[in-house]
Amino acid sequence: MSTETGRAGERTLFGHSWRRIVLYLVLIGMGAFYLIPIETGLMTSIISPETYSGNFPYLPPLEPLVPGTGELSIEPWRGAIDGLGQGLVNSVILVVPATILSGLLGSMAAFGLTTISWRGQIGIYILFVAGIFIPYQAVLVPLTQFWYNVVPLRAAFEPLAALPLVETYHWKLLALIITHTAYGLPICTLLFRAHYKKLSDEMVEAAQLDGASVATIYRRIILPLSIPMFAVVFIYQFTQIWNDLLFALTIVQFGDAAVVTQDLVGIGVSQSGTNFPLRMAAALLAALPTLLVYIFFGDKFAKGVAA
Amino acid sequence: MRNPLTILRQRLEDHREVRADGGTATEAGSILDRDSVRSAPFWLPPFLLIGLFIYGAIIWNIVLSLTDFQGLGSPDYSALDFENYVIAFVGGTPSWSELTVSPVWNAAWNTVVLMVSFSVVCLAVGLVMAILVDQEIRFENTFRTIYLLPMSLSFVVTAKFWLYMYNVETGLVNIILGAVGVGPIEIVQNPDLKLAAVAFALIWQFSGYAMIVYLAGLRAIPTSHFEAARVDGASTIRMYWRVIIPQLRTATVSALVVLTVFSLKAFDFLFSMYGGYQPGPSADILATRMVREAYANGNWAYGSAIAVLLFIMALAIVAPYIYTQYQRGEL
Amino acid sequence: MAELTLDDVTKVFTEDDGNEITAVDEVSVDIEDGEFLVLVGPSGCGKSTTLRMIAGLETITTGEIRLAGRRINEKPPAERDIAMVFQSYALYPHMTVQQNMSFGLEESTEMNDDEIESKVADTAELMEIKELLDRKPSDLSGGQQQRVALGRAIVRAPEAFLMDEPLSNLDAKLRATMRTELQRIQDDLDVTTVYVTHDQTEAMTMGDRIAILNDGILQQVGTPLECYHTPNNRFVAGFIGDPSMNFFEMDVDGETLVIDRFEYPLKPAQQEAISGRSDVVFGIRPEDIRIKEPGGLSDNYQFEVTVDVVEPRGDENTIHLTFDRSVDDPVTFTATVSGLRNISAGDEVVATFPPDSIHLFDTDSGVAVHNRTFDSEDATHQVL
Repeated sequence: MSTETGRAGERTLFGHSWRRIVLYLVLIGMGAFYLIPIETGLMTSIISPETYSGNFPYLPPLEPLVPGTGELSIEPWRGAIDGLGQGLVNSVILVVPATILSGLLGSMAAFGLTTISWRGQIGIYILFVAGIFIPYQAVLVPLTQFWYNVVPLRAAFEPLAALPLVETYHWKLLALIITHTAYGLPICTLLFRAHYKKLSDEMVEAAQLDGASVATIYRRIILPLSIPMFAVVFIYQFTQIWNDLLFALTIVQFGDAAVVTQDLVGIGVSQSGTNFPLRMAAALLAALPTLLVYIFFGDKFAKGVAA
Repeated sequence: MRNPLTILRQRLEDHREVRADGGTATEAGSILDRDSVRSAPFWLPPFLLIGLFIYGAIIWNIVLSLTDFQGLGSPDYSALDFENYVIAFVGGTPSWSELTVSPVWNAAWNTVVLMVSFSVVCLAVGLVMAILVDQEIRFENTFRTIYLLPMSLSFVVTAKFWLYMYNVETGLVNIILGAVGVGPIEIVQNPDLKLAAVAFALIWQFSGYAMIVYLAGLRAIPTSHFEAARVDGASTIRMYWRVIIPQLRTATVSALVVLTVFSLKAFDFLFSMYGGYQPGPSADILATRMVREAYANGNWAYGSAIAVLLFIMALAIVAPYIYTQYQRGEL
Repeated sequence: MAELTLDDVTKVFTEDDGNEITAVDEVSVDIEDGEFLVLVGPSGCGKSTTLRMIAGLETITTGEIRLAGRRINEKPPAERDIAMVFQSYALYPHMTVQQNMSFGLEESTEMNDDEIESKVADTAELMEIKELLDRKPSDLSGGQQQRVALGRAIVRAPEAFLMDEPLSNLDAKLRATMRTELQRIQDDLDVTTVYVTHDQTEAMTMGDRIAILNDGILQQVGTPLECYHTPNNRFVAGFIGDPSMNFFEMDVDGETLVIDRFEYPLKPAQQEAISGRSDVVFGIRPEDIRIKEPGGLSDNYQFEVTVDVVEPRGDENTIHLTFDRSVDDPVTFTATVSGLRNISAGDEVVATFPPDSIHLFDTDSGVAVHNRTFDSEDATHQVL
């Protein structure tokens, strides 16, 4: 093979320049593969449904330059906002507290199971880790029973509905918040524990000698040092909870409390056929929060998934 | 600034100092001094939460699977039996229904096919891309960001995009096939292609994840290994095959476990792709079958039994993984 | 400031498989008020565990630790009024130097912010780190971090300082400077200090007294010169001093000790010390052996030897010598001579083993049965 790749430490598979060109072509081709479904959706979402023909779904609406590509319109997006509005609001009400709670509790659990070390903690921790891999189906029926027949959450919310901004159906969102917090805890604990294992034991001992109680060590030493990890955990949890359908389907089931993923499933289908521009706009609108988070904090997202 | 716990501890200590006069100290001291107890305010509430919602629910689910719970009303826990498991394995007419219920073999088979094909292809694509990205390329971050982008989407959104891509008349897949003189082909509702179409879309979504894991694995291999192989005169292909890839075993195992679990959770995708609980027999997996039995047909106990089978499958994959991690002290 | 007493302190660790390991075995030391005690020994000897028991970071299995006469076994670290300097410095990375130094005062005293600030300022002055107060630890050099770590301990004005190999992360030159600096500060503050190190040079140069640990057992407590000149046993004799003491395992033959080509006559007092023994370990420090040019032996304490290897060290040479190079596995020993002397391998020389410089140890137990002539009063006077 190539003897011209003399540079020490070079890991190049493609020494000659034409090989580099092939390499870049492959990389760009793969990039196109990952982007095209999204790009096609985006282009379709800005075509007026009246002129939509489906001829060149991957092209922007260029009519009359390219016949058959349809006319530019924001109507699909307006329709998506109308159709998903309530779901988006519900999703925000769900995601923000569930993300913060699972992150915070995960950090506390990791602190209690890592920074303060004691015999037997690994056994408790294994139960946390195993929780990451539980298929949700294994708990769905009990969860539905629990929230509908055991906990009188709905009854508790009925008097509260008199308050401004509170509706009776919010009880379902509260149930969903608690459920997502519980099921997000294992991965949050794992991420924080990996971080806390790297912190110096001597630093914690120094704080103990300085007179700090366990709670003070957490609040004044560990918590400030966890900020980068909180970013990773929050981004990961935000994406997971925003994207979930299964828990919403089985706990909210239907009605005013439906979240955005539930609303998205049925949008754009009617007797007269599928309204693809509306459907693509809705898909993009539902994905927008996680896409934005990913584009702006992609490195942290990668850190979260690779852990 | 003193919390009640400290005050209590102080009192106990004062007490002990009198008592322990001249005696020898005990190893553990007061129970309140133990680190497990002092740290309990931190780990115990989260632990109770997962104990109740995860482990409590799993046990409850196992009990439910032994009942005849069906339709409206509440489960009757007085008569427990394994009837649902018999039905799941051999089918028949259960005591709680007048209809014949089919066994789960079809869904179980589809689950395994999806799991294996999806995981293996994801790993292969991820590995090749990780090696390509590791060639000291320019714009590495941009490429990485693009490859991982689908992972940030929800199953529901992915299903919407691919439903459009697979469309017979306007889908890009059929446009491309048309350009090479094939088709158009019905993909989404075609029993022969359904499962492959699902797997392909999921590979699109998650192969970037495998790439990230492999890339981290490659970066952890010291440069000297690449150099040593070069000095030994190994060709590039042989170098990767003999020296580098064998060192990626841990990355492979952890990516495999995570991908397998993802595939078990593919319910969201199928539900969205087929607009409900009915993906049809050739794309039905245990995850959809379980939810359909429980939430569409009201066969709660039977759904719970399928869930237990799914749980056992997950356990069979995850338990050895966690055990080896524990043995290696990597937990 | 207070005296610190360790009374039969024992630490037993129980491993996961139920095995018990005694890390520290009935160690008793009285450390006087204001004393600088160095706890020294090879790695794994239990010195760090001992220090951590004093700090309250490890429980005490049996025995008692008293500070100012009061038992502190059950007190949590924070209530022991002890400050510790760690090997890694253990500074809080997210806090400025100022905040690092204030933290302990905020958590363990009732002082108000002004008092804390002025105490921190005073200590920063003493440690010459005033201009670093607003910086974070990551912006500091190793030496500066070391000073901050010391400052953080000093500012709390504790009853006792504990230091766990605080200089081992510094480069050789800085370590020497900080050694002197630490001694100056400890002298100024006059705080009882326990200093753990594995480096016998640090122990010799810094401690008022040194305590030598091996395998969890206290071997000797004494001034550096006592430990150097009158070691309790063979371990201490070999551990203190660089290069290490020469040992010969010899048979007793009447009034002489015998091994292969080496016979050493004993003085009456020395004979008495080993009476009844058939074998004994003979020890002599390399620096006590005198080397002269060949040319006749004037007494029985002189031996014709051959130079095997010369290790130049600049100020002095360490030379390895043998009684007879021709045999396999010859008896060898080391001696130090002035670095200016011109000696090379293969030279024939005469070595003198002065009878008042020799040590004799029990072969099995290693206990010293006879040490060299040493009067600590004399030694003190000579130093002055």
